[in-house]
Amino acid sequence: MTRWGKWRENSLFLLPSVALTLALGIYPLAWVLRYMFYEYAGYGQETFIGLDNFERLWRDDDFWASVRNTFVFAGGKLLLTIPVSLLLAVILNGKLRGKHVLRAVFFMPTVISTAVIAVVFYIIFNSYNGMINQLLLTNGAIAEPIAWLGPKFAMLTVIIVAAWGAIGNYMLLFLAGLQSIPHDLYESASIDGAGPARRFWSITVPMLGPVMQIIIMLAIIASLKGYESIMVMTEGGPIGKTEVMYLYLYKLLFPIAGSGTPVDQQFGYGSAVGFATALIVGVITAAYYYMSRKMNKVY
Amino acid sequence: MWKKALGIGLVTVMAASTAACGNSNSNDKESAPATSTASATTSASPSAPSGEKKVIAYWTDDRHDQEYIKQVIDEFNANNTDNIEVELTVLSENYNQSVDIAFSSNQAPDLLRLKSANTGTFVKKGYLAPLDEYMTDELKAKFSSVILNDVNVFGGKLYSLPNSGLTLRLVYNKDLFQQAGIANPPKSLQEMVDDAKKITEMGKKDGVYGFALNFKNPKSAFERSVREILSLSGYQGLGFDFKTGQFDFGPYSQVIEYFKQMQDDGSIIPGAETLDIDPMRAQFAAGKIGMYLSFSTEPGVYKDQFPTTINWGGALAPTLDGQIKGTSEIVSAGTWLGISDKSKNKDAAWKFMEYMHQDSILTAYHEKGFGISVVPSIAAKAKQPDIAGMEGFLVGENDSLWPAAPSVTPEGANYGDAFFKYVLSGGNLQDITADLNARYNDALSKAVAKGDVTVTPDPAFDPGKL
Amino acid sequence: MREHTLKGGRSATRLPVIAGKVIVWLFLAAVAVVTVFPILMTVTGSLMTNAELLGGGNILPKSWQFGNYADAWRQSNFARFTWNSVFLSVMATVGTLLVAAMAAYVVDRRSFPGKSLYIGLQASTMFISMGAIVLRPQFDLMVKLGLNTSLWGVILILMSAHASTFFILLSFLKAIPREIDESAMMDGASFTRSFYRIILPLLAPGLGVSGLFAFRHAWNEYILPLVFTMTNPKLQTLTVGLANLRYGSSAAMQTNLMMAGACLSIVPMLIVYVLANRTFMQVTAGSIKG
Repeated sequence: MTRWGKWRENSLFLLPSVALTLALGIYPLAWVLRYMFYEYAGYGQETFIGLDNFERLWRDDDFWASVRNTFVFAGGKLLLTIPVSLLLAVILNGKLRGKHVLRAVFFMPTVISTAVIAVVFYIIFNSYNGMINQLLLTNGAIAEPIAWLGPKFAMLTVIIVAAWGAIGNYMLLFLAGLQSIPHDLYESASIDGAGPARRFWSITVPMLGPVMQIIIMLAIIASLKGYESIMVMTEGGPIGKTEVMYLYLYKLLFPIAGSGTPVDQQFGYGSAVGFATALIVGVITAAYYYMSRKMNKVY
Repeated sequence: MWKKALGIGLVTVMAASTAACGNSNSNDKESAPATSTASATTSASPSAPSGEKKVIAYWTDDRHDQEYIKQVIDEFNANNTDNIEVELTVLSENYNQSVDIAFSSNQAPDLLRLKSANTGTFVKKGYLAPLDEYMTDELKAKFSSVILNDVNVFGGKLYSLPNSGLTLRLVYNKDLFQQAGIANPPKSLQEMVDDAKKITEMGKKDGVYGFALNFKNPKSAFERSVREILSLSGYQGLGFDFKTGQFDFGPYSQVIEYFKQMQDDGSIIPGAETLDIDPMRAQFAAGKIGMYLSFSTEPGVYKDQFPTTINWGGALAPTLDGQIKGTSEIVSAGTWLGISDKSKNKDAAWKFMEYMHQDSILTAYHEKGFGISVVPSIAAKAKQPDIAGMEGFLVGENDSLWPAAPSVTPEGANYGDAFFKYVLSGGNLQDITADLNARYNDALSKAVAKGDVTVTPDPAFDPGKL
Repeated sequence: MREHTLKGGRSATRLPVIAGKVIVWLFLAAVAVVTVFPILMTVTGSLMTNAELLGGGNILPKSWQFGNYADAWRQSNFARFTWNSVFLSVMATVGTLLVAAMAAYVVDRRSFPGKSLYIGLQASTMFISMGAIVLRPQFDLMVKLGLNTSLWGVILILMSAHASTFFILLSFLKAIPREIDESAMMDGASFTRSFYRIILPLLAPGLGVSGLFAFRHAWNEYILPLVFTMTNPKLQTLTVGLANLRYGSSAAMQTNLMMAGACLSIVPMLIVYVLANRTFMQVTAGSIKG
């Protein structure tokens, strides 16, 4: 094979990926990098305003509150999602009757419309006649209804709802990773007298390392980015307690219409916010990647 | 196994792509096989004489009246002699953005549904064509008294004609009021606070509370309550002051104090902070809520979606001190259809618009309860819609149109979120109000400087004379 | 939880083994109940009147409103929306898998100048997520290409987000011994041929799982088709159409119909799940036997 031939093959195989990434990943990035220095409502004139958007961002308390909320939301969601989904995957990877049915069951939440399931969770969690409160009240566990969607508990509730919708997802990813571990490793370990726990720690965990590193990274990014379930459950409320940064950004671009006068879309400021959120997510992901690099070195 | 899988994949892909091609070739000419809520194509049935058919696209975000509008369009398509075919597209909540996208990507419709709130923005963006050349003396006479500056007319040019609007009322459960020993719906905010407290004290053990609003979206909640309380009390309902041409949230904050009082009293249904409008209506229909405020769409909603056995009614909103010093604002009123500046068939579009504004259609629109007519000649002779509860929402001596407040985009939280935060968690109301005034007026002066908004202070503005 | 399973394993006596099994089953049952209950409520809710559903408090409908399904089907033009969703999702999935698998193959098996730059580029598209703001430039670009009036614009945008698929496939590729395709190439198979005939089949578990995710991502995508079909409701996908079901003949949401629609729209997705599941499970079953 000539070098030219190899080069041509390589280019051919990479071209679609590179072209798509440049046109729809990098060009929008450049667009944002430009407009973050502008004021632009999506129509009419674009005004160059230098660093004004960043100055506004700096003193925008609502944005920084949404950043803090994002960390709480993402952290909570990960703490619930990862252990449960890993455990489910390990159990359902073993010899277990009905495991195929159970896998399908755990997968179901990930395919149901978020907008619809939010209504169901509203019926479960609302203060005045929600099912959880009814249950706790009749048991005598509580005397007064708890405001699950009130300022105190709303974040916890949206975390639970988000985790509910995500566990099946990561269970599947872990399962796929587990599938790739050669089965004879387990068999020979069994013959050597290793119990399930030994096998888990000395085979599953290290062999799953590289896949796990990626899965957790995906989970971190997804939980930092996720806002759809919050949008439909609470719209970021009450009083901003569940506002996460990507929801904050979304609202700048798609202001909720009421019967009052319409509000302009803020592409300039939105670009600055988008840039800042991207930076935050990027730094966290890079930090994770750096810290988790030894997971990749098992082979 | 893999061959098989690949085979299936290939077949799927090919089937999908051929079907897709078929799809894209037949987009406009062919009428959709089934009608849907999202899009409905109504095509003319008679084989029209060959000649150039003019297809007029009409976009609306009205859903409540679509069955009727479809029928009206069908009749127009079947009977007009100019070979015009109107295509109705019903869009949803992102209507304003859909219109923006359409105009920025050369897909603009010929006719647009206009609301008094978005007309100014559309004019400013250059979407609309003036109608002055089409206006006949007859039409001028019919609409003259309800054509308003900054609602229908911008920069001396006419862009739309009125049809109907929505009134806003206090919606209250008469049974609960009676049980609590309250004779009449509240006239002042203090009475409202007291009544809410009484009803809650009486009914809390059964899960009954005096007051509720859909505070999941505070701005939407306030736009259906505070707006009306203020306009009836003599202040513009979105925090604008026509006399000074500036935003002044002072009167607004006075109303907010009473809301806060109800919150502190525990008279508002628990969980109101994440309550959406429909779950709230379901609770009201179940007799768990004493009162709330909303639009004249409520009777239709209770008829269709939340049938109820409770005895309820609509009453004028309470005012700050019990005195009526202004008028209850009729909202989403004053405008109906508008012609796109990009339309290639403006004359044909106007023919349809004229058809829609004829007496029989405007009258039927009112009588069917889709909106409350604001055109005097129609309102005078039309029968009242036969929907339970509608009687409380009809236009009376205390209802009127108001001039439009300028639309601005302030930095930071909108007044709905800022005031609701105070209701829920307290703070310094004066500071909040001052901050809102500063931010809204700042945005206003920026918009004025850019030429997006024109503001003329009217020191003689008298809300009592609207 | 994990501790208990440990105990069950470490000891060879019978009782802890049973105890461990009981605990595993209790855990599974608990998660299953929590998982299924809201879905069950969606199904029963789809059979209630709107007033009963939003009034809350009931699990089973007072009277079963099977007509909701007919209404949802009719009002949302379900057949067309389903077709749009299927078209969009199949195209986006096939495209994403192909683009990502080709790139991953070259990156894993070849060395070339700019390789780490390319990997960095892919990683960065995953890290750098600027949320809804990028919709505007993407839309503008599609307008210039004339793709904004069809679903192809959405498909291309979905395909462009193939970084996570790329990395998943890359990690699966690493596990396929190089000797397999190298020996095939020794036997005269071309690079392209060995990709299609050897690598892709061996990559089945990875393709199955990442294809499932790509499909589901496309199937569930809401904001992208929302923006692209705002001016053309005929192209709406199920997600967008379902959300619009909220508004019917009156000013209130028809939440019961939304739920009926949601239940219907799960069905195609579950079919895809079963198919994808079979691919990656069959491969495993084969390796166990072998």
